[in-house]
Amino acid sequence: MTAGLLVQSAVIGVSIGSIYILMALGLTLMFGMMHIINFAHGAVYMLGAFVIYYVFFQGGVPYFAAFVIAMILLGAFGYLVERSVYRPIKGGIEPTLVALLALTTFLQAAGYPVFGQLDKHVPPVFQGTRSVFGVMISVERLMIIPLAGILVVGLYLFINKTRLGAAMRAIEQDKEAAALQGVNVNMINGLAFGIGFALAAAAGALMAPIFKLDPMMGEQPLLKAFIIIILGGLGSVPGAIVGGLMLGLVDSIVATALGAEPAFLLSFVFIILLLLWKPTGLFGHAN
Amino acid sequence: MKRTFPLIQVVAFAVLTAAGPGLAGAADVIKFGVSTPLSGPAAPWGIPHKNATELIFEEINAQGGLDVGGKKYKLEVIAYDHKYVIAEGVATVNRLIAKDGVKYISVLGGAVVKANEEAVNEGRVLNLPLAYADGLVSPKNALTFHAFPSPPETTVFWKWVKERHPQIKRVATISPNDDTGWWSIKVETAYVQKLGYEVVSKEFFERTMTDFNPVLLRMLAQKPDIISVMASPAGSVGLIIKQARELGFKGRFIHLGQIDTAVVGNIAGKANVEGTWVHGYVQNPLPEKIKNWQARYTKKYGEWNATSIDFANPAFAFVAAVKKAQSLDQKKIAEALGTVEFDNLWGKAHFGGKDYYGIGNQIIYPMPFSEVKDGVANLVAQLTPPHN
Repeated sequence: MTAGLLVQSAVIGVSIGSIYILMALGLTLMFGMMHIINFAHGAVYMLGAFVIYYVFFQGGVPYFAAFVIAMILLGAFGYLVERSVYRPIKGGIEPTLVALLALTTFLQAAGYPVFGQLDKHVPPVFQGTRSVFGVMISVERLMIIPLAGILVVGLYLFINKTRLGAAMRAIEQDKEAAALQGVNVNMINGLAFGIGFALAAAAGALMAPIFKLDPMMGEQPLLKAFIIIILGGLGSVPGAIVGGLMLGLVDSIVATALGAEPAFLLSFVFIILLLLWKPTGLFGHAN
Repeated sequence: MKRTFPLIQVVAFAVLTAAGPGLAGAADVIKFGVSTPLSGPAAPWGIPHKNATELIFEEINAQGGLDVGGKKYKLEVIAYDHKYVIAEGVATVNRLIAKDGVKYISVLGGAVVKANEEAVNEGRVLNLPLAYADGLVSPKNALTFHAFPSPPETTVFWKWVKERHPQIKRVATISPNDDTGWWSIKVETAYVQKLGYEVVSKEFFERTMTDFNPVLLRMLAQKPDIISVMASPAGSVGLIIKQARELGFKGRFIHLGQIDTAVVGNIAGKANVEGTWVHGYVQNPLPEKIKNWQARYTKKYGEWNATSIDFANPAFAFVAAVKKAQSLDQKKIAEALGTVEFDNLWGKAHFGGKDYYGIGNQIIYPMPFSEVKDGVANLVAQLTPPHN
């Protein structure tokens, strides 16, 4: 592998990593808050992409308006899921996991009769390609990097600089103590579900013009997102960022050097080695 | 109040019951199983597979049914979606054989057909698959008749490419990481190397993959003139073409399996698909017989799908063989398949290829090849396989 090819694969790795970060953000937020792994994250990602298909491509609404609509619609859906699934089973971790798994299966199965059996596509929003360190990358892929950055910064500011964010952090540290201090735990949990779902929808909405759309499209990104949040440390937003970039780079450089099959295997080997060295992940805590 | 049945109804019921299912109608139906991907990335293959079979059978039923030994039989399709997932493929074929009691099936997908090999052979089921897999057409699968041209037949198109486009010298290949992909690439690379091409890259991908950038970067570093995407489904091919063009690839693409270039063009962008060569998918010009088929297909299903032209083969072959065998016994139908010459939508077809496969169970007919121009797959050649 030449130095030139290494740089090119690193550039592609950063663009792939940005996509991974987007996927992992909502997942890690929900884990950090409620200690649940949202198995429905991939299905919500898929729904976000289909909102873009119908509202932007079929409906003619401007892309960024459709993007906001996707986030609002699926954020509201997340809030409803918290009300109708998470809250009635009193936040039990195992029942919630099973319920979210059931929701995923339902959404994927319903996807074929609702959206059709053939793969769908969304035309590119940003046309053309640019040369970055000698590698041609489509503008739509490059745009993922700043857009992912905006979402990351927005989430960081929300969690660290707002009263609602402070309430979220309080629940993360000690739910009972937060409730005693007057924090409305149910409302904040609903908000966390809403934000988590909205972030998954944002990832799907950004990916829609880049990849093809089908009801199972969320499965592979969900697997990558799981790897990232374990790698970065469960519940850690900085961990999701670093984990996403690391996995993107590993995937890209190994696939370029050795091919797609070794890259798939080596990403798992990489995470096993890292967890042997640091079982809590890069930014995770023992508790 | 005491309820009584009129005598005539009781007698009629007794006669029908004693006469058995023949008179009641159940035995007058020939059930034909279809296990195919009706959803997921391979659905552009599976949907026309099911639709074409149904359409041919419905037209025969409308004429009174299939005459076997002086008795008319209706043809019924029982179709299940396997999503191109091996486990689902095994489950659907088991269900067809064990629950639905079918004796004749058509399965799509090399990996799925291979996984069902034992069940099909043990159940003595006649299979007319649309699938690429090493050893599928072989003496050990005597009741399996492959109803679509395979890589050993379709790769003959490379000769045509060599004669007309001598500037193409370096070939890269990318295929799914399963039985279908492995065998297709093995056959194709052996053939093109014999013709003097240099195979500069051979890659495999998981069918769930959507980001091909790293693997394409690796391939493009070898500076290929052409990329073969043999055995890859339309959705994946669309993404491969789109992403390769974004990375600056200016050469051609070739798919000597079968692919819906309209679906590919939607994903990759029409301009990016220009010049692509494909086997088994033609939009223009279509002979009268196929135009007629197109009208019937569109009338029934609303949307035209050119893949249905070649994927109608299992139904045509089955009907012709049953007519010739005048029997519903799988073995007798298989014997008839070995000798019958029948019409498919491209002309005369038969099963042959014994010299290559060791058994004459591979469909042989003039295979259509197209080149995409202005977004339309235009017929450029009809070639006969290298073996008969």
